[in-house]
Amino acid sequence: MAEFKTYQVAAGWLESVAGALREAKVDVLVPCEEDGCVDLRSNQGLQALPQGYLNTVLPVKRVLMPASEVLLEYERQSSDITLASPQEPAPETVVIGCRPCDAAALEMLDAVFEWDYEDVPYAERRRRTTIVSFACTEAHPTCFCTSVGGSPHNSAGSDVLVYSKSDGGALMQVLTEKGAAFIGKLGPAAEPTDAGPPAPPDVPEKFDTKKIKAWLDENFESDFWVDVSLRCLGCGACSYVCPTCHCFDIVDESIWNRGQRRRNWDCCSFALFTKHASGHNPRPVQSARCRQRVMHKFKYFPERFGRVACVGCGRCVRTCGVGQGLVSILAAMDKK
Amino acid sequence: MTTVTSLTRSLREAAAQALTSGEAAVVIGYELNDGEAAAPAFVRAPEDAERLIFDESCFGNLAVYLAKEEVRRLGKLAIVVKGCDLRAINVLLRENVVSRDDLLLIGVRCSGVGRPALRKCSFCEVRDPEGCDTVVGDPPEPPPTDPGKRYAEIEAIEELSMEERWAYWQKQLGKCIRCYACRQVCPLCYCKRCIVEKSTPQWVETSPHLRGNIAWNIARGLHLTGRCVSCGECERVCPMKIPLGSLGDKMAKLVDEWYGFRSGMSADEKAPFTAWSPDDPEPGIL
Repeated sequence: MAEFKTYQVAAGWLESVAGALREAKVDVLVPCEEDGCVDLRSNQGLQALPQGYLNTVLPVKRVLMPASEVLLEYERQSSDITLASPQEPAPETVVIGCRPCDAAALEMLDAVFEWDYEDVPYAERRRRTTIVSFACTEAHPTCFCTSVGGSPHNSAGSDVLVYSKSDGGALMQVLTEKGAAFIGKLGPAAEPTDAGPPAPPDVPEKFDTKKIKAWLDENFESDFWVDVSLRCLGCGACSYVCPTCHCFDIVDESIWNRGQRRRNWDCCSFALFTKHASGHNPRPVQSARCRQRVMHKFKYFPERFGRVACVGCGRCVRTCGVGQGLVSILAAMDKK
Repeated sequence: MTTVTSLTRSLREAAAQALTSGEAAVVIGYELNDGEAAAPAFVRAPEDAERLIFDESCFGNLAVYLAKEEVRRLGKLAIVVKGCDLRAINVLLRENVVSRDDLLLIGVRCSGVGRPALRKCSFCEVRDPEGCDTVVGDPPEPPPTDPGKRYAEIEAIEELSMEERWAYWQKQLGKCIRCYACRQVCPLCYCKRCIVEKSTPQWVETSPHLRGNIAWNIARGLHLTGRCVSCGECERVCPMKIPLGSLGDKMAKLVDEWYGFRSGMSADEKAPFTAWSPDDPEPGIL
């Protein structure tokens, strides 16, 4: 086991390491802004944002579990079906600049995708992806990582945690072998240091997950769900931007005798999500679907994996078009 | 704490009155929220009318709730409407989704929402909603922009070459993640079963790849042609910031040019695709 240290680097480190990685045919994803949206992109022609952005519109989840992926390809000829694996294997990828909350969410996705058997496409991408997170220098009012066991400096799920400095330099805390390999790309520009990280920004705690779990244990049937779900329009925006939501749908898309089997994001807020072929829907109303989303994150997931399925990134609160804030729902339960 | 304006005071009084008299079982309005936009509120007791507000944070088009079963189950509905939202309600009335007798309309005179005001507000001609049961607020200021500029955004796109437009829309629609926030927030997307949910056959591919996204957005655009009132909610809630309003505007512009029709201007209007007339010029038929 290598000794993981802290290094310091001077301004310009991002460009130099991204350049070196690209030369080695590594896919480098960095937060870039385009059309008013900050997202992880292969930044050709776009200016990477070394700091000063709240978070990316989509979480790093989408690198490991894409919104749509090909599982297999098929061709049918009379009674024979030929199957083929999707084209190319996942490229070696380095994500530079996701936030600690998104990286921490990967531990939850790992738990699910390695639970009863290893999910091959996910595991393959996970092995080939290095996560270099940027510690938060400020918090948004919608952030609540500290309420769900995280922090603006959380190192969980990251291979390297970067503390950006105002002069463009940074402190880099190496956390894994993959992280050590990343630092290696910087060569002598990365100098070991004894310097400690700066103080994290303050993120007030908004609720207690233990109290919420206790309330959920007793209140599967409650008018509360009807009241808080009236606003909810039943779209999938909150789930799709969520770093821990991982439900998917599998579809076959064919043209004549050949096609693809794809895995796409899906969401428990949709009425169709639980609709049976018979027409029966065990979650026929939005209140049942809203309940499911909260129950899964704060009761079922903790019972199965020992932690809540939420990292407090606040995207659901910021994204919802009708102000259906998960935090206000949880805070209301906390006070019950 | 924001100060309570005279508009908000009148609104609360009108809402409390509707609930006290039994004219409505619930008032759908706006309440304060942590975020940039006020949140929808469902007020069921007169004393709770104090939660209601109206200011420039009241973006949302509450008409979307009128077709929602869970909301209708609460009893007779009163709804707070801006003039632009009333256009959507007029379409719901003309399409017999709701009946005027089952609805209490509390209109608010509005000089624009958003800070700075939304683009749609800058040339809005319906700042004083007509045909409501009650209207609150002072006479609105006239819109600062010539209403003739309403299609300016889509005209800028039309000036691009076919190749440039194709590249533009491929890039924009390529971002779609198929969360269906656009559909769910749309007051006129009230189908019990959306075409994208029909799987025998699967008319529209559900995968968020470019082909599926283009099929989805074109299907939605066509279903809203002659119906969309350009409230802009689809674009406001899109997490990927796709300029969806432009798609609606393009169809609205065509219908305006071909039929001299703008959707939702009154509940009695005859819409081009749902009315028959012997002198129909039928310019849309090739």
